[in-house]
Amino acid sequence: MSSALDRQIRPIYEALDTGSNKSAILACNKLLKKHPKNDLVKALKALALVRSQKVEESLVVCDEVLAAKPTDESTLAAMMHVLRGLGRHTDMVAMYEDAYRQQPTNEELGSQAFMANVRIGNWKAAQQIATKLHKQFRDDHYLYWSVMSAVLQANDPTTPPGIRPVLLKLALRLIASATTPSFYNADRFYLHLMILRDLEQYDDAYELLNNDIGKAICASSLVCDELRRDIWRRKGLVKEEGAHATNQITEAKDRNWLEFLAVLDATFAGSSDGSQDDVAGRIAETRTLFEQVADSDGRGDRSGRLALLELEKRAVAHGSAASRSTELLKEYFATFGDKLVCFEDLQPYVHLEGNLLADWTEFLTSQSSSFTSVAELNCYLNAQKLLRYNLSASEATAELEATRAVQYLQAYFDALKLGKELPDTELQPADDLALLSGQAFVSAWRASRDATCLYNAVAALEYASSRSKQSYKIRLLLIRIYRLLGAPSLALEHYRAINVKQIQNDTLAHLIMTRATLFSLSSVGDLTYSSEALESSQIYISNSQETAEYTVRAFAGEKYSQLPEFILFEERLDNSLQRDLTKIEHVRIRITHEPMNSDLVDMELIELKFIFDRLDLVHHDNRDFDVIPNYQPHSGPSFHEQTLLFDKQPGLGWLATYLRIYIKIFQSASDLDDDVEDKLLIGDRPKPSLDPDTKLPLKERLAQRKQEELDELTAEELSFLEYATALSDWLVPFHDYIRPPPAAVLAEAAKQTELKTGFPLKGYEPPKNGTATNGHAKKAEEPPALAETPEVVNKFFDDMSARFKEALDAGRLPPELLQLVTLTQEGFLVLALETQRFKPAAVIKQYRLGAMVQILKDIRTKAVAVLEEMSTALIKLAEDGATVDSRKAFVQACKPVWGASGLLDHDFVATISKKVTESRKQVLDGVGKGVVRVCKNHA
Amino acid sequence: MSVTRPFKATDLFKFNHINLDLWTETYGINFYLGYLSRWPDLCSVEESPNGRMMGYILGKAEGQNTEWHGHITALTVAPEYRRLSLARKMIDYLERVSDNTYRGFFVDLYVRCTNNVAIGMYEGLGYSVYRRVREYYGSLGLGRNAKDEEDAFDMRKPLSRDPMRRSVRPNGREISVSAHDVS
Repeated sequence: MSSALDRQIRPIYEALDTGSNKSAILACNKLLKKHPKNDLVKALKALALVRSQKVEESLVVCDEVLAAKPTDESTLAAMMHVLRGLGRHTDMVAMYEDAYRQQPTNEELGSQAFMANVRIGNWKAAQQIATKLHKQFRDDHYLYWSVMSAVLQANDPTTPPGIRPVLLKLALRLIASATTPSFYNADRFYLHLMILRDLEQYDDAYELLNNDIGKAICASSLVCDELRRDIWRRKGLVKEEGAHATNQITEAKDRNWLEFLAVLDATFAGSSDGSQDDVAGRIAETRTLFEQVADSDGRGDRSGRLALLELEKRAVAHGSAASRSTELLKEYFATFGDKLVCFEDLQPYVHLEGNLLADWTEFLTSQSSSFTSVAELNCYLNAQKLLRYNLSASEATAELEATRAVQYLQAYFDALKLGKELPDTELQPADDLALLSGQAFVSAWRASRDATCLYNAVAALEYASSRSKQSYKIRLLLIRIYRLLGAPSLALEHYRAINVKQIQNDTLAHLIMTRATLFSLSSVGDLTYSSEALESSQIYISNSQETAEYTVRAFAGEKYSQLPEFILFEERLDNSLQRDLTKIEHVRIRITHEPMNSDLVDMELIELKFIFDRLDLVHHDNRDFDVIPNYQPHSGPSFHEQTLLFDKQPGLGWLATYLRIYIKIFQSASDLDDDVEDKLLIGDRPKPSLDPDTKLPLKERLAQRKQEELDELTAEELSFLEYATALSDWLVPFHDYIRPPPAAVLAEAAKQTELKTGFPLKGYEPPKNGTATNGHAKKAEEPPALAETPEVVNKFFDDMSARFKEALDAGRLPPELLQLVTLTQEGFLVLALETQRFKPAAVIKQYRLGAMVQILKDIRTKAVAVLEEMSTALIKLAEDGATVDSRKAFVQACKPVWGASGLLDHDFVATISKKVTESRKQVLDGVGKGVVRVCKNHA
Repeated sequence: MSVTRPFKATDLFKFNHINLDLWTETYGINFYLGYLSRWPDLCSVEESPNGRMMGYILGKAEGQNTEWHGHITALTVAPEYRRLSLARKMIDYLERVSDNTYRGFFVDLYVRCTNNVAIGMYEGLGYSVYRRVREYYGSLGLGRNAKDEEDAFDMRKPLSRDPMRRSVRPNGREISVSAHDVS
């Protein structure tokens, strides 16, 4: 490249770097006038276009460059970004492989071709390229690239099980051919061990590990040591590991819990003659060892004492009689009761019965309830948590729980003094008592279904939150309870306050996105949940753009131990259950406020089909429910289970059901068929699923129903499913009859593309004999006969109306009412989607749809009548719920938490009552008014 | 007492109870994978016997010549697992790897000048202030002690390769540099 041109290109890079895509495009155009054939400038232009969302225009330039088969590194690098932006990874591979083929001695191009395959998990091709690179350039790291690729190919789910050992043996042979042994570095060593383990050649692995070098590597590499433990275990070296661990504990003073577990495993490992005495002797030995550790460590480390508990538990399971468990528990509590972790430590060991339980309970009850230091408070907290943990079902009645809740709250106020001096960036030591109070109130609500228990809970927790602003735990409880109460704006406020970001969007979005359609006010123009759905889904875009790059870097840096994890990580995000649950909610929210044109229908259809195709392959439930504090008795449901909306957790079955519903509906409404879709699609299709079910025709897969999937739906959602399915099945012959032929759809799409970009649609050739018409060609066959209106379709709106009135009369909580209304509305929207093809007068006339249209009109009229009635009721309920009287009633209901002195302030509770009633009013009123608007939009 | 194990990419799905704490930042995917793809042996997790993450440490190796050192980028322990010496355990491990595997001269870390608890702990572990770095941190947005809150102490501890303790100095608190001057 001439230096003059080089000088002119530099500003383009700068513009791209700073995000000034517009000026980059301008600069490119200017340069292209002088150098119309310059691939680099074209590639940079394509990049700037992609980044300005001008996909179609970018495609044209991009394809021009690809056709020129570039080999210049800068052009390739720019094109890599373009193709990644377009999701065309397969083309990226082809581009690099082409370049490498043209310049087979160019090492850099070879590496790039390898990396391009790595990015898309093309392990077979990657392995071949790496082998070639190694032959040519004789560097060992290429050999290891090829070894790793073979291993990854062996682990790939698409590899037939029979091929797996072949690939692993190949990998092993390759390692043996290396000029330097694998212990040259820890990650090569790790890779070597991993192959031996997977081939079950434990003796060979043992040999590698059991020498000075192997030991040295394991001493400073956690990944290798983890693998070593695994291999030892598989080889049955429990005794050896136990001896090694004993040594680590006594000599090196190692307090890694894994060492203690190794000693325990060895203690109970089957002996050759299987005699009981032998085991009893070993138990005694181990006990002595742990007691020594416990005595010498004192309060310094918990291992010894906890190991004694575990030993006792295993000994009892093994048949030992005399139980010292309560004694050990008391000792543990006496030593570590002032550490918050004590409760978690002891949980596995307190499943006691009879006298032992009574003894333990008495011990805990006798703990002092006055505290003058945080240590004493923690002791009290641990005692309370442990007592609560062992409550039986009969001890968890509504009255008893409500009483406990107030007691916890009293203790909370007492304990607040201990954190008076702390800055507000710190957590209050008293926090957990407020959590206990909130949980007990919720438990009382579960037992009585009396919503006032929940009012008390939010009053207490809101106060605690105001005193400990950084406590995310208090906020998590509030989020769950506010959703139950139908005060979603308050739930959202707390969700925002915990500052969920990046990867946490995947694991925590369930807190507010689960059944978000219930609370969405998009029908009246409030797009909060819609944008929340989009924002929380950003992480999946980052994942697909960034993660593979680090897989490449791990290869480049030879960090083989990380590769399987990186690949799993990318996969878990890519096929995240929450991702697709959010997607469904977003679709449901979209249809309430957007016009039902092809932008919505076609695009969503394609996306939902993608999800459906990979559905059975693997979905990963990354949702974090463990983060929600749980201090409920272990005899009953957890706090998370207690506060699930409608007692149901949407999961894979719920997702599958909703996908089926909407794919069917959108298929009816759309003109796309598979051929057209292929032509219009940009980027790669997702990898096909391996599940045999997905080989079935789509139609059959859409018709499938599995009981365990339906079990995830509420009764109301089931009704909606029946209705939507019947409606769709009923009308499908008409859609199929009237839908314009694919050629016509394609011609129209090509026309639109050309209008938009000035270029013809890629890969599209207009038919030569001119058969394409305006899409309403006269059909040869007769129109299908109209079947009788399915009973479920006829009855759906009346049924929902009746159920709504019932729920209203029974004074159910807002979410139940909202569910009935939003599902009825959804039924109406689905009807609109299903019938818009039959709307134009010309269509009615041409296909003689008069009779059918009349029937549809009747259904719509009924739907509107029902919805209007619901709307009026909701709006009235909204008004009634936010009056001075209703607020007073709220405050009155909260008397347990403010009535006595030393508890909450009356005014504080009054403020909460205002917030809660207002939030409820907002959602009831909004949904109520939205319903009318939706009806009007689709009149 | 805890299980010491490598930090894994999939731990990002499990660290909410640690990262929701005010003092722990949650970064983009590129941050964590960047560390793991270069210095996986300087990243470890402490796990409770029942499998919950209690805390983690992320580190790197950087610097030229005698400035070649291990660096503690992130160190965090969930509130309920504090005061169990976990931080000490993780730092010990990182120091060992920095010393044995990377042969660094010292280990260093940055801490907010207002974080007295942490500073005290690091001093107890043998670290001393090497310099003050102005405006190293973003504000917490809490509107107090703004200057101290945004400034960082760069604290160092020499390793076996620096027996003369050339990488530390006694008057570090008085020496102040701008954030642009440090890596």
